Amino acid sequence: MNPKRCAACKYLRRRCPKDCIFSPYFPPSDPDKFSCIHRIYGAGNVSKMLQQLPVQTRAEAVESLSFEARCRVQDPVYGCVGIISLLQTQIQKTQTLLAKTQAEIAVAQTKHSQHTYL
Amino acid sequence: MGGPGSSPCASCKLLRRRCAKECIFAPYFPPDDPHKFAIVHKVFGASNVSKMLQELPVHQRADAVNSLVFEANARVRDPVYGCVGAISYLQNQVTQLQMQLAVAQTEILCIQMQHEPTLQSHHEVFELHQDDKAHLLHSNNNSINNCNNNNYNLAYAMSSGQLNSNFASPSSVIQMQMQDPLKQESLWT
Repeated sequence: MNPKRCAACKYLRRRCPKDCIFSPYFPPSDPDKFSCIHRIYGAGNVSKMLQQLPVQTRAEAVESLSFEARCRVQDPVYGCVGIISLLQTQIQKTQTLLAKTQAEIAVAQTKHSQHTYL
Repeated sequence: MGGPGSSPCASCKLLRRRCAKECIFAPYFPPDDPHKFAIVHKVFGASNVSKMLQELPVHQRADAVNSLVFEANARVRDPVYGCVGAISYLQNQVTQLQMQLAVAQTEILCIQMQHEPTLQSHHEVFELHQDDKAHLLHSNNNSINNCNNNNYNLAYAMSSGQLNSNFASPSSVIQMQMQDPLKQESLWT
């Protein structure tokens, strides 16, 4: 077997052609990356997705797919949607705290101006 | 539900097969919403979704399907970044709000020090910050259904300023380490 097969072709136990769509993004040194993506999306779907993208955007697409696949493996119910939910909650809490602090500023400034007037 | 005499679920309609009584998709993909399964099938594939659902207890499958639909929709809208684009956007919002909050807290401290130069207010601000951080790490929000009380390193990293304080790009989101995510109430409830 060709020792220079990419991680995808190694995993799929096939020959790695020169124009393999996976090889630029799945080096043999990181077998987990492809196995995780394959578990969630399947090789065929990933291949189709990459083929539909311009070449210069494929690396980022693979990284985001890898991230989402890892999230899904770690949290099979919510995946990365759990992170989105957490961030939205954090935003709400921070907005509430900010509004409260700004109200305190307004009250303090009003008190100060009243005190100055008197 | 699938079975003799009833309409096949959206999955079995799309896959052109008989909808069995125990069809794993039927409870979550009713025939009146064909788009829901179509988009999940396009991104994940029916067999992968079936495997994922089989590995989950029944009471968690509805939430799992809804999150898969959400992710699939995000991926179709943004084929390069998918949900990671949304995460990046929200992280930027959090960063901006935290900066505004820091400015506001500094301002109130200054005002208080003008009137009460005893520095008592400084401790209140510090405690407020600590409470906020602790709350993010150990949230006991009643709306959490499946919280397993694990710390969430993303929230900790963000609140302690370890993440890039400049605007987060999708690439920097991908580089962050994620361990033991805190399970939150689903977005759609």
